Amino acid sequence: MPVMKTEAEPTSVSESSGERPSVVVQLPLGLIGFESIKRYQLSSQPDEAPFAWLHVEGESDLAFIVVSPFEVTSEYEPQIGEEDLRFLGLPSVDDAVIYNIVTLDRKGGGTINLKGPIVLNPRTLVGKQCIPLNVSQLSVKHPIPAV
Amino acid sequence: MLILSRKSNESVVIDGRILVKVIRLDGDVVKLGIEAPADVPVHRQEVYDEIQRSNHEALTTGKPIVPRLTRREHRSAPEAALVVPRDQNYTRTVTH
Repeated sequence: MPVMKTEAEPTSVSESSGERPSVVVQLPLGLIGFESIKRYQLSSQPDEAPFAWLHVEGESDLAFIVVSPFEVTSEYEPQIGEEDLRFLGLPSVDDAVIYNIVTLDRKGGGTINLKGPIVLNPRTLVGKQCIPLNVSQLSVKHPIPAV
Repeated sequence: MLILSRKSNESVVIDGRILVKVIRLDGDVVKLGIEAPADVPVHRQEVYDEIQRSNHEALTTGKPIVPRLTRREHRSAPEAALVVPRDQNYTRTVTH
């Protein structure tokens, strides 16, 4: 009997018409300085890609703008420690999804914080703001290339 | 602030679950070994402060306009976040 393998499909994306798709991301340790906030709604809109929003669940006014760092710089290799990977249940950093937090400036541009990546396990949607082992070589305000 | 004197290889136990050990003294540098449960984050203070400051600056209220990148077409973020690694364990088997 022929056997065909197909890629597994995402199952937990909620997408009602007109609403942006979103998923709930859990950060059991919170973000640094926001340790008590552990649940966020991650959402995005195609016209804002690759930027996405991390809304504090239940406080829709409060949000962080995040972006995959690899969309902004091709030279980013955060070394995530073994303990962080174990905490997230990840065999290696290649299994992670990484977002970095954006700080907007007043001129329509902004910077991303490469020192504190949010490392996510894409299967459990559990994440942690990790401090990479090579943090001293990373910028807290890496400029986003302006259009 | 509690101040304790410790020699090399001596330790301090905090809350019965966090161990701070003086590994080596080298001039004005002290090497510390820290054993803590996974839910106790341990950071160098200046790095912690820098990231905390950055997080506070980054928090938005309202609906600011995000920057524009001139790039290829992007997947939406939750979709990207849910992309499953290409691994045998994550494939589904369909028989015909």
